[in-house]
Amino acid sequence: MTGVVEAHELSKWYGEVLGLNGFTASFGSGITGLVGPNGAGKSTLFKLLIGQLRSDKGEVRLLGEDPWNNVPLKRRLGYCPEHNQVWGWMTATRFVETLLRLDGLPAADARTKAAEALELVGLTKAKDRPLKTYSRGMRQRAKLAQALAHGPEVLILDEPLSGADPVGRVHILRTISRFAREGGHVLMSTHVLYEIERITENIVLIHNGKGIASGNLHAIRALIDQHPHAVRIATPQPREVAQALAGMDHVVAIEMPTADALIVRTRQPDAFYRELPEIVVEHRLDVRGLESPDDSLEAVFRYLVG
Amino acid sequence: MAFAQALGKGWVVTALTVRYLLTTRRVIAMALFAAVPLLLAGSLALARVPTFDILLFQVLMVPLFLQVVLIFVTLVNAAPLIREEIEDNTLPYLLTRPIGKPAIVAWKYAGYLVAVLVLLVPPFVLAYGVTEAYGGLALGTDSDVLAGFLVATVLGSAAYGALFLFISVVLRKPLAVGLLIGFVWESVVGSIPGNVPKFSVIYYLRSILKGMIDVGPLSGFPTDVSAGVAAGVLVGLSVAFLVAAMAVFQRNEFRQKA
Repeated sequence: MTGVVEAHELSKWYGEVLGLNGFTASFGSGITGLVGPNGAGKSTLFKLLIGQLRSDKGEVRLLGEDPWNNVPLKRRLGYCPEHNQVWGWMTATRFVETLLRLDGLPAADARTKAAEALELVGLTKAKDRPLKTYSRGMRQRAKLAQALAHGPEVLILDEPLSGADPVGRVHILRTISRFAREGGHVLMSTHVLYEIERITENIVLIHNGKGIASGNLHAIRALIDQHPHAVRIATPQPREVAQALAGMDHVVAIEMPTADALIVRTRQPDAFYRELPEIVVEHRLDVRGLESPDDSLEAVFRYLVG
Repeated sequence: MAFAQALGKGWVVTALTVRYLLTTRRVIAMALFAAVPLLLAGSLALARVPTFDILLFQVLMVPLFLQVVLIFVTLVNAAPLIREEIEDNTLPYLLTRPIGKPAIVAWKYAGYLVAVLVLLVPPFVLAYGVTEAYGGLALGTDSDVLAGFLVATVLGSAAYGALFLFISVVLRKPLAVGLLIGFVWESVVGSIPGNVPKFSVIYYLRSILKGMIDVGPLSGFPTDVSAGVAAGVLVGLSVAFLVAAMAVFQRNEFRQKA
């Protein structure tokens, strides 16, 4: 076992409910995205990695060590939980400072490092406000600040973009990228594949507690792209729209289930969404709505697992 | 160096606990409840009750302070120490820092003791002061009464706190069990013959009062345990329950609310 994270046949049950089911994967250095729909087992895996849960079966290693009740290992990791709860009565400064003191830093050093971390995530102006007054996105950034303030080797981020506003997203993604550029490792979960594409090519797909694919994002996207992505277009001119879209080389099928809609199947959803506005304008088409039955990652996973 | 660092981390957990217990909204209710002895003494003095003296003070304080206020305040402050961190999803922030789980329990318990004594001791001392002032006596006249109740408060807070903390790491709903133990078992156990009363905290608290106070309602309390032994038993109980809570917490995994 040599990766940042090594999991072998890892299983975790919550009574009758399956959290992880023989999950096997190896996460290398840099940024790795753990992608899966809600309930896939992402948070369970992370809780096993931080030692909050103990596996029922199999083996897990973080930086080569067993995380369960491993106090020294905690100096080397930073964790950002999925939920948004914090000690609301604390200011962001006090929040980060308090946790840095638990890392063993003297008060003065903790104050300095807390200020630096909050600046990094763009919270300097709001650092003296109680956390209960923060928006969801600001709390995400405060949580990220406490996770990286002590200079860990690995960051474990559970849905760090969830609920973040556009500015917050930029700060969070920029902070994660910078941390990785400086030699840190990042494990980041998301249920939105397109989110993670912006910062890494290494992903692990998880579904129903099992790792179903891992490796380079493009390879996995190619795998996904073999399964046409459906887009339902609401339009009073389905025939005209179909004629215009038929020329797109990645469109593999067009169906007209009703008089006011058509379903287009494409192998390249990104290209489709990029090119569609131009085609609509060029052909003066009346397109009233777009909906993707495959929009959720769940559908993509259903393709992958058959 | 390592010891100083461990002490520093412990202080952070203790301060966090004290801050939480003494500044969140519940403290208002707790402070009012803890002030009941003072309110009662003040009311008796204002009503100019002719029989109000240090003896009546003790007659009232044994059931009211020891068996109601002390138990309720310790239960409400000890039970959430760990349980609310789990329920509020804030526990991961502590568990992902380089501090052992048993140390978190121990330092939180220290914070609990500080907070509970801050809540309980000042109103009780003031109530004693009002009683002595009403009788026109110097504050030190019945110092044995004050000392006896203060020792009982400190040791009772320690023992009940450790017991309720232990219950809270073992059970998901510790308040119900805590209320049963605190208000049912501790109340009825005195009426059970034989050595059964020795399986309660209140027995040793009463033994301490009997041993330390020259004249009082507990002078006739049937006990063969001296104040010193009773204090030793309560210290032992506190340590035993605290160590048990630390051991359970170390072994437990924590599943939070979704």
